[in-house]
Amino acid sequence: MDEEYDVIVLGTGLKECIISGLLSVDGLKVLHMDRNDYYGGESTSLNLTKLWKRFKGNETAPEHLGVSKEYNVDMVPKFMMANGALVRVLIHTSVTKYLNFKAVDGSFVYNNGKIHKVPATDVEALKSNLMGLFEKRRARKFFIYVQDYEEDDPKSHEGLDLHKVTTREVISKYGLEDDTVDFIGHALALHRDDNYLDEPAIDTVKRMKLYAESLARFQGGSPYIYPLYGLAELPQAFARLSAVYGGTYMLNKAECKVEFDENGKAYGVTSEGETAKCKKVVCDPSYLPDKVKKVGRVARAICIMKHPIPDTKDSHSVQIILPKKQLKRKSDMYVFCCSYAHNVAPKGKFIAFVSTEAEADKPEIELKPGIDLLGPVEETFFDIYDRYEPTNTADEDNCFVTNSYDATTHFETTVKDVLALYSKITGKELDLSVDLNAASAAESEAA
Amino acid sequence: MASRRRTLLKVIILGDSGVGKTSLMNQYVNKKFSNQYKATIGADFLTKEVQFEDRLFTLQIWDTAGQERFQSLGVAFYRGADCCVLVYDVNSMKSFDNLNNWREEFLIQASPSDPDNFPFVLLGNKVDVDGGNSRVVSEKKAKAWCASKGNIPYFETSAKDGTNVEEAFQCIVKNALKNEPEEELYVPDTVDVVGGNRAQRSSGCC
Repeated sequence: MDEEYDVIVLGTGLKECIISGLLSVDGLKVLHMDRNDYYGGESTSLNLTKLWKRFKGNETAPEHLGVSKEYNVDMVPKFMMANGALVRVLIHTSVTKYLNFKAVDGSFVYNNGKIHKVPATDVEALKSNLMGLFEKRRARKFFIYVQDYEEDDPKSHEGLDLHKVTTREVISKYGLEDDTVDFIGHALALHRDDNYLDEPAIDTVKRMKLYAESLARFQGGSPYIYPLYGLAELPQAFARLSAVYGGTYMLNKAECKVEFDENGKAYGVTSEGETAKCKKVVCDPSYLPDKVKKVGRVARAICIMKHPIPDTKDSHSVQIILPKKQLKRKSDMYVFCCSYAHNVAPKGKFIAFVSTEAEADKPEIELKPGIDLLGPVEETFFDIYDRYEPTNTADEDNCFVTNSYDATTHFETTVKDVLALYSKITGKELDLSVDLNAASAAESEAA
Repeated sequence: MASRRRTLLKVIILGDSGVGKTSLMNQYVNKKFSNQYKATIGADFLTKEVQFEDRLFTLQIWDTAGQERFQSLGVAFYRGADCCVLVYDVNSMKSFDNLNNWREEFLIQASPSDPDNFPFVLLGNKVDVDGGNSRVVSEKKAKAWCASKGNIPYFETSAKDGTNVEEAFQCIVKNALKNEPEEELYVPDTVDVVGGNRAQRSSGCC
């Protein structure tokens, strides 16, 4: 340490590692530190021994669960949309070369006590049990409209200006029922609340198109992909990108303390008696607790099983969305399941997560509707943690704090946060249509 | 994809900062050497097609990208390695003394199923420096260390002038091939994320 950097990043969660990678590629001098001796921070993946230590307070897991190192249990379980923002960031930075992905087998929605495959096209709508016969026809027309919609082609708009009319107005035109609206809004467009109904319809239509495009991308049973060995692969991959472009990495640095001058601006970070200077600090909420506020809590169950979730056609990886109206709660509930097929558990083992925004203090009771879908469970761990958002003004203190991870089982909100933060730090937008590798290859050819 | 596993060999290079890890792989793959030292910037992994006993393999050589400087390599870096190359500088006793740490770190992070027989190769680099006059680690001492770790193969190299580099990597390939892959728990059917498979619009025929 005792050096000068452009940016010091604290915490190696996925968001911080993406930022670190992007800034290093931009040519900034980056120092990245973490108090833990592993990558991932709050979003890491744990082996069985670490899982037991964290949730049971000791390190002796039962032998029948298998070899510890074969477990990679995500602490923030999320799938990636195959055509989504995170995939575009991965391609943009060529970080895909460090990773292997496998399609997720299934995507389901909970409705009237049962789970149903999520239909995303007019063809699937006709086959779905989610809707009655007449509703299927109405939904089919709506799906065709969404599929055919092109922003640049006024003919495809059919007289509707989606930037002005609300989602509710479009739905009303097609005469869709409440249950249909519910699964379209929450399981297809992946909205977390119902505010979208009174907002311009363009956002929901774009999200539905993203879902359908992601589904078509790998011809799988769902629109999602997921990395082999679990999600801690992602921060490590972006950290390597940063290192390849000159980023300096220091794990296992206790007590990283941000230093402020008399004007309240951050000028460096002190750890183990040494101070590194910088112009900007990026960190997760735990490193600057005075500059964040609590905005909610996530309740989660982690379950080890030896079978797929019932009624998912033996899917080895699956997402189930339980819309809040079905549960009479304020927030949706999410079930995420993966298995040895993605190298996150020993052969024959499955890991399921049930997550939601906490509305009470007892996750065991609150998460029951999701847990009841799982069938017999060998082990269950419960967790409840606070979510934070920054309250500071970066212009005043040079600190850029990331948001905590939400309860959803996808990454779209995560990447949105990262891109917004990148713009604040650098003052520019990231052009995800550019493949950096191809760009630098073209440069070296021109030289 | 059993054939895919056997045609791709992953080799990782470990050792203290500044011992010449990046230069060694550049000398081997690209026949290049740069005198200017910067703690590794821009090195990632390099691939080279190699032939061994009438079979063609893709050798993937992973550099540490500088993350070893403050002991910050992640478990993903170690996963799936078929051979571990340890490098020290013959002019630096400290880099030789740290070999034990690097070997132990590898065994902890990679957790090979047969740790006693996992293939390591040791390289003593920079034998060209000052015509050998600043050498502080004797060949005898290094060979004794190798013998104590299960007869690890040893080469004295110079990334600068290419001494023994080709021979060392031939041995590395040979040893990587001896590493029988762990029984495949599951043969993953991975997807190509970069592939330009454009989304197809499905159309109902009604």
